[in-house]
Amino acid sequence: MTTRSRPRPDAVASDLPAQRADDPVVTNTAASGATNAPDGPPVVRRGPQHTVAAFGSRILRQYSLVFLLVASFVLYSTWSKTSSVFLTGDSLRVMVAGQAVIGVLTLGILVTMVAGNFDLSVGNIAGLSQIMTATLYAKHGFGLWEGIVAGILIGGFVGGINGMLVTILRVDPFIITLGTASAILGFVDWYTKDQSIVNGIPAAISNFGKDNLLGIPDIVWVLALVAVLVYYLLEHTPYGRNLHAIGSNRAAARLVGIRVERSIAMAFVINGLFAGVAGVLMLARAGAGNPQIPPTLALTALAGAFLGAASFKVGRLNVPGTIVALLFLAVNITGLQYAGVANWINEMFTGLSLIFAIALAAVLSKERTVKKTRKSA
Amino acid sequence: MPAVMAGPRTALAVRGLSKTYAGNLALDSLFLQIRSGEVHALLGGNGSGKSTTIKILAGVVPADPGGELVLGDSEPVGAHDWTPAKAHAAGLRFVHQQPAVFPELSIAENLALGADFPRGAGGRIDWRALNARSAELLERYEIHASPKAPLASLRAADRCRVAIVRALQDRDDAESGVLILDEPTAALPAAEVDHLLEALRGYAAAGQTILYVSHRLDEVLSVADRVTVLRDGRKVDTVEAEGLREADLIEMIVGRPLDRVFPSAPLETTEDVALTIRGLRAGPLHGVDLTLRKGEVLGIAGLLGSGRSELLRSLFGAYAVDAGAMKLDGKDYTPTSPQAAMKAGIAYVPEDRQAEALLSGESVRANLMAGQESSYFRKFLYRHRLERSDAQRSISDFLIRVVSDAQPVETLSGGNQQKVVMARWLRRRPKVLLLDEPTQGVDVGARAEIYQLIRQATEQGTSVILVVSEPEELAHASDRVAVLRGGRITTVVERPIDAHKLTELMNSSEGTQ
Repeated sequence: MTTRSRPRPDAVASDLPAQRADDPVVTNTAASGATNAPDGPPVVRRGPQHTVAAFGSRILRQYSLVFLLVASFVLYSTWSKTSSVFLTGDSLRVMVAGQAVIGVLTLGILVTMVAGNFDLSVGNIAGLSQIMTATLYAKHGFGLWEGIVAGILIGGFVGGINGMLVTILRVDPFIITLGTASAILGFVDWYTKDQSIVNGIPAAISNFGKDNLLGIPDIVWVLALVAVLVYYLLEHTPYGRNLHAIGSNRAAARLVGIRVERSIAMAFVINGLFAGVAGVLMLARAGAGNPQIPPTLALTALAGAFLGAASFKVGRLNVPGTIVALLFLAVNITGLQYAGVANWINEMFTGLSLIFAIALAAVLSKERTVKKTRKSA
Repeated sequence: MPAVMAGPRTALAVRGLSKTYAGNLALDSLFLQIRSGEVHALLGGNGSGKSTTIKILAGVVPADPGGELVLGDSEPVGAHDWTPAKAHAAGLRFVHQQPAVFPELSIAENLALGADFPRGAGGRIDWRALNARSAELLERYEIHASPKAPLASLRAADRCRVAIVRALQDRDDAESGVLILDEPTAALPAAEVDHLLEALRGYAAAGQTILYVSHRLDEVLSVADRVTVLRDGRKVDTVEAEGLREADLIEMIVGRPLDRVFPSAPLETTEDVALTIRGLRAGPLHGVDLTLRKGEVLGIAGLLGSGRSELLRSLFGAYAVDAGAMKLDGKDYTPTSPQAAMKAGIAYVPEDRQAEALLSGESVRANLMAGQESSYFRKFLYRHRLERSDAQRSISDFLIRVVSDAQPVETLSGGNQQKVVMARWLRRRPKVLLLDEPTQGVDVGARAEIYQLIRQATEQGTSVILVVSEPEELAHASDRVAVLRGGRITTVVERPIDAHKLTELMNSSEGTQ
C-alpha cells in the first residue's frame, strides 16, 4: 500500500508563510519526488514573499483576534449606550470573574483536544463535582480542604472513566462523552432529588467566590494559575509534546514509541481534574449547590478553544490564544448585555463565534493549500 | 502552417513554452513534439518542470507570453491564454495521478460522471441507456466487467482504466487528440502496474497518442516509444526508447552517472552477526530464518503481500509474533512493543510516510525529536535551546533542506520529508535499522542522498534490513538480498546481485511448499 503525500484536507495554516525550503519550489505533491538540487548547501532564497507587507499580513493574521478584542473593548468603552457602565472596575471584575469557570473548563478541554480527542461532558463533570462538594460539606461534614480535594478528584474520576471508555472501546470520544454527559445529568437528578443545597457551605468557600486579591477576583487568580499549568504541560513537558504528536498522527506516534492509549486516557483524567476545579469554582461563586447544570458549558469551552486556535500559533490549539478568545467572548457578551440586548445574546454570540472560528480555520487551511499548489511545478 | 516534417504527423507540438513563478523560471523555453500514435514519456525529477508543462497543457496555469501550442494540423495558438475548455475542445484528455473515481458507485455511474447521465421522461436517469452505453465502452476498451458492478469490485489497474475510459469516452475516433497520463501508476500496487501498462500499449497500437508522465523508469522504458527528459525546467533531450537502459535515463535525469547514485558497498564484509531470526511466525510469515551481519545492508526481495512489511513490523514489536526466537548482539531479543524494540536499539522507517511517520502540522524539529522528548526534560524544565541546536545539527548532518527547524514539516518536498524521518532514527545511532521502501515517492536525486545516508550509518556499525520493490534498486543498494516467498526466506543472493535473477526468484514457484 502506498499513499503518496497529499495536502491534508484538514491541514490548518501555520504561523510561517509557506516558505521555500529548497530550489526551486516547495511541493505538496511528493509523488513526483523531492528536490532536484542534490548537491550544495541549503539555499534560502528570499523571494517577494519575505517583504514588509508579507510580514504585516502574518502579524495581522496571528494577532487578528487580539486586535478584535482591543477594538471591541474600545467600542464598549466609548459607545454612549455602554460607556457609563462598561469601563468601571466593578464591571470589569464581574466580567472577568464570569469567565473563570468556563476558562478553567476550556483550558482543561484543550489537553484532550491537542491529542485529537475532545470531551463534551466537561460541563456536566463540573456540575457534578459542584453539587457533590456541596453535599459533602452539608451532609457529610467535610472540612474546607477535604471538600475541595474531593470535588477535584470526583472530576478526575469521571475523566478517567471517559478515558478508559475511549481508549479501551476505541469508540469516537464524541459518542462516549455525549453518553457520559447524559448519564451524569441523570445521576445528579437522582442523587439530589432536584434539591438545592443552600446551608452548610463553608463561608470560606463562598467568600472566595466574591473576594479580591490585589484588586483581582480570587477565582480569576485560580484561572491564571490553571492557564500557566496547562501552558507548561502542553508546551514544556515531554508529555505535552507527545499529546501534540498523537493529535497530529496517531499511528506515527505509536511507531516512535509513544504510549498512545495511556497518554490519551491520562489526558481525559487531567481534563476531568480541571473540570473538578471548575466545579469547586462554580460552588464558590454561587455559594450554594445547584442541581441544575447549565447546558451550554461544554459548547462554550469548545468555542473558546477553536477560536483560540485562530491566533498566536495559528492553526494550533494554544493557551495564549485561548485566553484571548475567552476575553473576546466575555467583552462582547458583557458589552452587548450592557447595551440592552437581552440574555439570549450569550448563547447566540457563543454559537456564532464557534461557527466563525471553525470557518476561519477552514479558510486559512484552504488559502495555504492553494498557495502551495500554485507553487508546485 | 507550421513546417511539419515529412515523417509521422504531429499530434501536439509545444514551442518555446516558459513559465515563471515568483521570479523563478520553472520552465525555460520548452520545445516538444509529440507524434501522432506514439507513447511519449515525459521524465524528470521534482522541479524539473514536468508538472508545470502538464498544468499549462491542461489550461490550469497560464504560460508566460510567447509560447505556442500546435494541435494537429491547426494553426498555432498562444499558450498564455489557454483554458481547460480550449484544451478539451482540442482533444486533450487528462487522467491525473489520483484519478477521481468513486469506489462505492457503479462503473456506469463513474463513467456518467465524466459525461452526463442520459435522461428519460421527467428528467429521471435513464439507467437502461446508461448501462448499455457503458457496456459498449467497457467492451471497446476490453474491461471485463458489468457496468452495474461497483467500481470497488475491479482490480486497481482496471479502476484506473475506467478513469481513462471516462476521459476518452466523448471522442468519436481513437486517433484524435492526446491522452495525457500524469503518474497513472503512482497509486497502484506493483502487481497492478503491468496490467495497466499492457492496456496502454493496446490503446497506443489502436492509434491513440499518449503523453505519459512518470518517474518510474522501468515503466517508461516498457511502454514509451520516445522519452523526453527535463531537468531544472529545461529539456535535456528527446530520445528513442528503443535500446535505452535505466542507467542512461538516470544519468539524464540527475545529470551524473549511476555509480554516484548508489554508492558502492565496502568490499570487505564482516562475519559478525548483529541479529539472528529463527523460525519467526507472524501473520503471513511461516517460519523465517535470517541472519543480519554487522554493518551490512540486507535487502529483502518479495512481492506485494509476501509478508515483507510484516517481517519488519514484527522485528519492531509492532506486529504480533506467534513464534520464533531472535538474538540481538548475542542476547535474546523479544520485541513486545515499539518501546521495547527502540530500547534494544532497533529503528523502523515505515512504508507509508504520510500515514505512519510524519507528524504533519508539527515543526521539522518536533518531527526529528518525536519520541525522544524526555531526554530534553531535566529538573522540570524543557531544554528548548539544546533541542533546537541538536535539531539543527541533524538537519545539516542528514542533508535536509529547510529554511528553519521551526518550519512545518508538510511544507517540505517528499525527499526532504523522508530525510527527516530517516534522521529521526539515524541520529540515535541504532544497532539495526529497518527500512520499508525508503525511496517511495522520492526522485532520483534525493534517492541518491538517502542511500548515501544509509551507507554512512552502516560505516558507523548500523546494520540495515532494506525492503524495496524495484529489483534494480534493491540489487544496487544491498550487500546481500534475501528472497521472501510463501512466508519463508527461499534464497539468499550474495554479490554480485542481478536484478533479473531477483525478479525470477521472487516470482518462481520452486522451493515453496
